[in-house]
Amino acid sequence: MSAPQDTKQVILETKDIVKQFPRVLANNDVNITLHEGEILSLLGENGAGKSTLMNVLYGLYTPTSGKILLNGQEVQFNSPKDAIDLGLGMVHQHFMLLDPFTVTENIILGSEPGKRGTIDYKQARREVKEISEKYNLKIDPDAPIETLSVGLQQRVEILKALYRRAKILILDEPTAVLTPQEVDELFEVIRDLRNSGVSVIIITHKLEEVMAISDRVYILRGGEVVGERNTSDTDKTDLANLMVGREVVLTVEKEDKQAGDTPILTIEDLRVLNLKNFPAIDGLSLDVKPGEIVGIAGVDGNGQTELAEALMGLLSVDSGKITHLGDDITHMGTKELIGRSISYVPSDRHRFGLILPMTIGENIMLGYHDRKPYVRGIQLNYKYINSHAEELVEAYDIRTPDVQNPAEKLSGGNQQKVILARELSREPTFLLVSQPTRGLDVGAIEYIHKQILAMRDRNVAILLISLELEEIFALSDRIEVLYEGKIVKEFDPKKTSHKEVGYYMTGGKE
Amino acid sequence: MDIKKLKPVFFIASILMAVIGTTLYMGSYFSGLLFILAAVVLFLAYKWLESGTAALLGLIKAGAQALMVPVFGIAIAIVLGALVMLASNYDPVESYRALFYGAFVQNWHVSVLNAAPLMFTGLSVALAFHAGLFNIGAEGQYYIGAMAATFLGLNLNLPPFLSLILIFVIAGMLASAWNIVPAILKVRTGAHEVITTMMLAHTARYLSPIFIRAHGGDPSTSDHAYVTDQLPEANWLPRFRSFLPEANYRLHVGILIGIAMALLVYYLLYHTRIGFEIRAVGQNKDAARAQGISIGKNIMMALLLAGFLAGLAGVNQVVGLDHKLYENLSAGYGWNGISVALLASSHPIGVIFTALLWGALDAGGQYMARVTDTSNSIVEIIKGIILFLVVAKYIYAYLGNRIRRYRRRKQEAAEGAA
Amino acid sequence: MEAFFTIANTDLLVAMVRLSTPITLAAIGAVICERSGIVNIAMEGIMIVGAFFAAVGALYTGNPWIGLLMGIVAGGIFSLIHAVATVSFHLNHVVSGAVLNILAMGVTRYFMVLFFGHPGTTDPIPNNLGQLRWAIPGLSKIPVIGRMFFDQTPIVYFSFILVIFFAWFMKKTKVGLHIRAAGEHPLALETIGVSVKKMRYLGVFISGLTSGMGGAYLAIENSASFTEGMTNGRGFIALAANISGGWNPIGAFIASLFFGFADALQVRFQVGKVFDIPEEIFIIFPYVATIIAVAGLVRRSRPPKEVGVDFMIEQEGD
Repeated sequence: MSAPQDTKQVILETKDIVKQFPRVLANNDVNITLHEGEILSLLGENGAGKSTLMNVLYGLYTPTSGKILLNGQEVQFNSPKDAIDLGLGMVHQHFMLLDPFTVTENIILGSEPGKRGTIDYKQARREVKEISEKYNLKIDPDAPIETLSVGLQQRVEILKALYRRAKILILDEPTAVLTPQEVDELFEVIRDLRNSGVSVIIITHKLEEVMAISDRVYILRGGEVVGERNTSDTDKTDLANLMVGREVVLTVEKEDKQAGDTPILTIEDLRVLNLKNFPAIDGLSLDVKPGEIVGIAGVDGNGQTELAEALMGLLSVDSGKITHLGDDITHMGTKELIGRSISYVPSDRHRFGLILPMTIGENIMLGYHDRKPYVRGIQLNYKYINSHAEELVEAYDIRTPDVQNPAEKLSGGNQQKVILARELSREPTFLLVSQPTRGLDVGAIEYIHKQILAMRDRNVAILLISLELEEIFALSDRIEVLYEGKIVKEFDPKKTSHKEVGYYMTGGKE
Repeated sequence: MDIKKLKPVFFIASILMAVIGTTLYMGSYFSGLLFILAAVVLFLAYKWLESGTAALLGLIKAGAQALMVPVFGIAIAIVLGALVMLASNYDPVESYRALFYGAFVQNWHVSVLNAAPLMFTGLSVALAFHAGLFNIGAEGQYYIGAMAATFLGLNLNLPPFLSLILIFVIAGMLASAWNIVPAILKVRTGAHEVITTMMLAHTARYLSPIFIRAHGGDPSTSDHAYVTDQLPEANWLPRFRSFLPEANYRLHVGILIGIAMALLVYYLLYHTRIGFEIRAVGQNKDAARAQGISIGKNIMMALLLAGFLAGLAGVNQVVGLDHKLYENLSAGYGWNGISVALLASSHPIGVIFTALLWGALDAGGQYMARVTDTSNSIVEIIKGIILFLVVAKYIYAYLGNRIRRYRRRKQEAAEGAA
Repeated sequence: MEAFFTIANTDLLVAMVRLSTPITLAAIGAVICERSGIVNIAMEGIMIVGAFFAAVGALYTGNPWIGLLMGIVAGGIFSLIHAVATVSFHLNHVVSGAVLNILAMGVTRYFMVLFFGHPGTTDPIPNNLGQLRWAIPGLSKIPVIGRMFFDQTPIVYFSFILVIFFAWFMKKTKVGLHIRAAGEHPLALETIGVSVKKMRYLGVFISGLTSGMGGAYLAIENSASFTEGMTNGRGFIALAANISGGWNPIGAFIASLFFGFADALQVRFQVGKVFDIPEEIFIIFPYVATIIAVAGLVRRSRPPKEVGVDFMIEQEGD
């Protein structure tokens, strides 16, 4: 394949960028070029070095070595301010917005209009209005950020960059939190921006996105550029192979399996209030049978967290009923639920899954620390705790020098394996899995999916909550669409499409 | 015969030697030190039997590494202290000689007497730290413990050891009850324990004169404005003098109780379910909760235990050393307990040594002020500097990074030139 | 009933304003500091340092204004240690604050002995700001309110001005907005090119200046000498005022008035000898009031999201 040719002017160029972190070489001799009025994608897995590179370009990180050329001139970014001043704008994956502040305050932050240190709010509001009209990005300038949908928040982020007269816009995983419909809208916006002369860099690990929106793509792996393609000259398989470095099966194999008849877990008309006393789950009914994986599809913020926490006794149930193996468990505490062999793989493994400074052994014991043989009387039996952990480290292929190693020293994938080892080895009757593969690389994802399917084969009832439609489709036997705290539609994954599920995820009606 | 079977023998022998050694040390340094050394050797042998040579070496290395920062901090603080002395026209060499001579030789017994209450308050703060709580008001619990011990000591008339045990337990419990309000408020409303325990510390301090006047003795027997009656001798803690003729007559066995308490807290934190839950809540309360551990229960537990330990410091002073309560009897043992805990990185065994260090610095400072012109308040400055240099561990990482970066730059420059 | 009226009169309200002043000053500092994302429990220590150097300045120069300036500057400098420790060296904020409080006790005692030859209390300050009573013409004649707010000593007026100034500053200036952003979402601020570090240093420094001023008030205006430990927990009460006041200068001022009232009440009761109860019972009023306030009001508003959370961009450590 010949190297892509482009006649347009190069506006941004990196020369042999190296970024060394204390333990990781995140970028190694990275060379990329960006042309004027172009949509460029940077494709790579988690940990491939995409975000590091962008943070270097944006002045957040100082490169260990290498050069950045802007319009042919070498530039040095000591802070984001330098980058912004030279016309770079960035929309981060996790939005950089101040929740209680208004749209206007967020957009003008750091470039406020006004004299002698004061802020001229009137002028600010006017400028925000002007720019949102100019680029056709409608927004209420006085709304506090916390009242806006994710899609609108992203719009504020884009406006923030445009307000600073960005000529180059970097978008980091822009579709991660959007619904398929919102993605289409975003792509419209990006194309408009390109047509008005803005160059766009999209960082992503989604092949569809690269194909749908970009003109050209660089593929990163292990901190290095391993390929460059014009989108019109390539296809998904080619990109996937470059990205992972080996032939990949894009879906895990799953055999058909007949689920049991009597549900293990039943939820009837559940209502749960969130911390702001607003009903986050409102009239949800659901059942899970043995040997079946029920996938909850939905856009983030539609009650996923509250559903999981209510099921695990971490958030109190306002009304409705939850039944497990025939017993009412609606108001049971977490400790009792664990005692009933209910297992939980939480979505945020650092916050809810592990106690990072504690050892692997202690993390595996956690939850069972008050029962024999982990404890005799009040004394912990470390001999058993460690030997048991060693068995699980072996069985679940956790890469660690020994079980006395603190969990924080492990890689993300291995940390997730520790949680899986703990939860799956407890022979659950019901397994609640939330976002089990978030932020993991392909190898780890494959492994974890296989383990979850293995539990299904052992007749465990599994409820899977995921924001990744791919994952829902890959694992589920039944898909339930969650929208505003209710199940709005049920699908058989074999008889539906991403588009159709996506339609209901955004509140579409029949 | 399998030598591994001897493991428990080594362990018990080591503990025994340590107890004998520490006790003897109060009277005769030389023989005491010999026993303590023997205890260390026996303990290392026990560890070797338990986990092998590599693990033993690892343990020693980890120990040395843990000691590096404090030792470095102390060294720098001594240098900075000397500069301060020079700046204020004191003679650093003479002052330091007096300070160390006083702290570790001449007035060693004062160092030990100072250290005992600090061990209790230090353990109190350290234990709360493990639950992610800051028991900044240990001073208040100290007062409550001291008042309760005085009251009980004046009124209990039971067989000697029984009344002592009761005094320790009941006064400790009352001090721990002093922490109930902060504990409940923390659990129920999230009110920060730094503010609530601090306010209660001031409250307790101002309650003490009322108590003292109510149990008033003759003020002319003391330098203090108010003083209580003296406790009957039956309710005093035994003194080393009674079985070690060489020991200083004021030295009482409180230090041994302090060390025992440190070992107990260590056992509780690292080898029991209760301690595991406390640490789990302190390190990640969300993950602890998701595995069925009650956050509220453990916050209560930690704050009440912390109150108990700080209360014992007051008990120790009253039944061990003063045998009565003065107004303002405290030399800030509560506040200094914070330093002692921080300096030990909240490790209960470390607290034994940091309490001794703090006690020794105070004792040495007093001696120095007596024999030289130097003001003993210089010790407060040295203590502050040590604390900062030990606590702000990031300084070393920062400096290390700077040096590494500088070296790399230099290397790159050299390569570039070549 | 008679006892009631010897206590409840305009004097009580005047004393409330007077005694709330040091708390107000420190509380404003606490608001700015916590808004920038740093918890500052070192204010107690900063106040005592400010008080000491104000007394030294006033005694040695004979000019209380120089004393005030020295108190403010000393507070500011001392607070920078907290800024360096928490912002640059990533030390836990509460730990650093506790260490600073301990250090403050040591530093003041050391200098006390060095300057005055003994610990405890300094000589009386002949020229102090308590002697300057500035009655505002006209306004001071309003019944009750006039005596409370318009017939006071200098630093009391300064505290009013500072409350209004910082309320405006936080809302209407660029730096104010940046300070608020630093405590709410520091990375967001950093990514638009404003240094979080600078904002946090500034927040801590402002709290040092105002706390230093509060300490100076205690030594050279409210009383005419410095005594070790004379702040008596006011730095912590100021923290409570900041929380009860919803992290906002006006709210903190109102909360400080409440604590000042508890303090005034205890002084009245003590001096008035109204009841035959040990005086210490009254001394604990403000402390108990503080506990009640944080218990009852703590959930009323939301703290800055990232207050007390360390901010580090690159993992340089390890």
